[in-house]
Amino acid sequence: MSETILELSNVSKTYSGKPAVRDVSFKVQRGQITGFLGPNGAGKTTSLRMSLGILTPDSGTVSLFGGKPRPAALDRVGFLPEERGIYRKMKVIDVITFFARLKGVGAAEARRRGLAMLEEFGLPDVADSKVKTLSKGMAQKVQIISTLVHEPEFIILDEPFSGLDPVNQNALEQIVRRQAEAGRTVLFSTHVMEHAERLCDQIVLVAKGRKVFDGSVKQALGEVPRRVTVEAASDHDLSQILVGKGEIARSELDGNVVWTIDLAAGVDAQDVLKACVDGGVKLARFEPVRAHLHDAFVHLVGSSATAETEAV
Amino acid sequence: MRAIYLIARREYLSYAATWGFWLSLASMPLFMALGFGLPILIENSQPTRYYVLIDETGGSLETALEAQAEASQAEALERARETARELFGDLPQVNAALASQPQLSDERYLRVDVGVSELDALRPYLTGDATFTAADGEHRLFAAIYLRQNADGAIQIDYWSANVSDGGLRSQIRNALRAYMQTQFLIDSGVDPGLIETADELSPSVRELNPERTGDTAEVTDAERIPLVVSTMMAIGLWAVIFSVVNMLLTAMIEEKGNKVLEMMLASTRHHEILTGKLIGVAAVSATLLAVWGGIGLLGTLGLQQVAASSDMPIADILAAVLDPGLLLPAFGYFIIGYLMYGAVFLAIGSLCETLQDAQTLMSPMMLIMMVPIILIMMALNAPDNPIVAIASWVPLWTPFIMLARLPHDVGLIDIVGTTAAMIAFAVFVIWGSGVLFRMGSLNQANQDTVKGWFRIGRKKKPAAS
Repeated sequence: MSETILELSNVSKTYSGKPAVRDVSFKVQRGQITGFLGPNGAGKTTSLRMSLGILTPDSGTVSLFGGKPRPAALDRVGFLPEERGIYRKMKVIDVITFFARLKGVGAAEARRRGLAMLEEFGLPDVADSKVKTLSKGMAQKVQIISTLVHEPEFIILDEPFSGLDPVNQNALEQIVRRQAEAGRTVLFSTHVMEHAERLCDQIVLVAKGRKVFDGSVKQALGEVPRRVTVEAASDHDLSQILVGKGEIARSELDGNVVWTIDLAAGVDAQDVLKACVDGGVKLARFEPVRAHLHDAFVHLVGSSATAETEAV
Repeated sequence: MRAIYLIARREYLSYAATWGFWLSLASMPLFMALGFGLPILIENSQPTRYYVLIDETGGSLETALEAQAEASQAEALERARETARELFGDLPQVNAALASQPQLSDERYLRVDVGVSELDALRPYLTGDATFTAADGEHRLFAAIYLRQNADGAIQIDYWSANVSDGGLRSQIRNALRAYMQTQFLIDSGVDPGLIETADELSPSVRELNPERTGDTAEVTDAERIPLVVSTMMAIGLWAVIFSVVNMLLTAMIEEKGNKVLEMMLASTRHHEILTGKLIGVAAVSATLLAVWGGIGLLGTLGLQQVAASSDMPIADILAAVLDPGLLLPAFGYFIIGYLMYGAVFLAIGSLCETLQDAQTLMSPMMLIMMVPIILIMMALNAPDNPIVAIASWVPLWTPFIMLARLPHDVGLIDIVGTTAAMIAFAVFVIWGSGVLFRMGSLNQANQDTVKGWFRIGRKKKPAAS
């Protein structure tokens, strides 16, 4: 059984009477990449701040490495906040060394690691430059190095991809993967599903302060109705032919009729294809649509909103 | 402790590792020397003013004026000698140096004769259209003074000058003639001139005595008054140091907030460690400044005091008063507490603001609070037992400055212990409160509007537009 690094149990937080996080519970297991997903204002940053003890929950408990998020536990965590910034007037290597030392690394070792990571991140020449002279992308890399230089067991990244260009987003994905391969546990928040889908072993989805999903990416995709799109060149009425196969919608595209079938439980695309062939339908296109995490996100958040509205 | 040390170290180095810091460190003695020397330099460099005096009364006033000028010079020289004797004893070198000072012989205004006496002829010299030749070159006239006697016998001075700001010569002439007129009046009334001269020289001899002492030791000397002045100077210096240092804290905090570093810091440390580290770091900056400037000042004063004491110069007592541990130690203590109080408040203000402009709103009331003790310190110099000063010294934010200024004035033990206890208790409260504000401000859960909102308690809210 894998070790739980972080556990939030029934955690709630309210700002000036406005609930930001409501009764959220989830666990982060050692060695996994966990995506903490949700739209803007869903309570992700507040939850991450509570995870680190920066904020105290109004109710519920937070357990980091099996205890309260005390400074000793924080030394084992690397945190990249959403609002990024570092001391602009300091030299790059001094900034990295400073943050490493705050986490308990010795001065000489911190400097050695900092120089090595600058090399690894393609910034070997900026060690003695002032941060203010760097480009935005370079400064962000320096901040990521500052987050990782003490070789934390647990890495928390709050919206790490925001503000990065596609090249740097890809580079950051590689960094996250390398850290996971090195046995580190990663928790990152994002509202961009593509990154989570490519990277995560597990996702926690929150909306309006509540958790709406917690499980693997595969499980999340399983929540989205599977879909088949059929473009018919004949006049058959597929709503009759495909009875019992799922929810069927009809539309027209360039003179052809397009049918969209949200498959019922236990029905797969092959069953639909067979029914069409057996019914003599002349197929111009038959396309099983692969669900993406984005669809799962929209579906789950939408369902949650509907459920909440109904509950009210 | 590790985090506090690292934050304090970073804060310290962010100032101490800059060229500006070392330049200001080195330049301060220069500016201090300039501050002391500039007024003397200005006085010495003031150009000699040349004037023409035309006595239309027959020459008696002119003679009187000359006699008066000579008497003034002798008086000024004697006053300077007296001060020098009080500081250095009766040294012939000092007397010689005093005699060579042009200010003491009052050569700022020199009477000349340009060869004409009619106003129309003199006018070009006064406006600068014409010049005359003096020993040191070409000059214009500063003033032309006509002394006239009216039909009723009253003396009239017509003072012509293009310079309306420098009224020194005008005052000199008027005062000299007034004294002459008063003397003349007495002579005309039949009073013996010798008697008038004797009357002029009459002056009481004043001895200031301390009732707590008896015999020869009862007399109060000037050296005893020095601690009162020194404590006031120290209180003003303390105010200036604290004011400049807490401003450093404010700027550093706003810069840190602007750089958005705080949240990253908070993932490694706690609010109180950041607050404490910053306070210590900036305190170390000011300690460096004080150690260098104060150290140089103290060593210099100590050296001078030793030299003066070995030569039996009275100034040795004055310098010893400056070095009195009874003032230096409380000054150090008041600096620490005062710095912590104001530093914590300014850090909290900084944490609530994104820019210096934001900070202006919250700074204004603090600035007003900080200005009050300066006024009261000056009041304490002459009236340390003034009830307003005494009560104000119990206000913890003002205690460090006012009490330091009051200390040499035999303040009661209750006042010293009470104000110190109240100040320490208040400092603890302020640091705690600032910690809470800092915690809220650092994560943008509070800003300057939050503070403003506290002062709106009880006011009716505007009804929401529907």
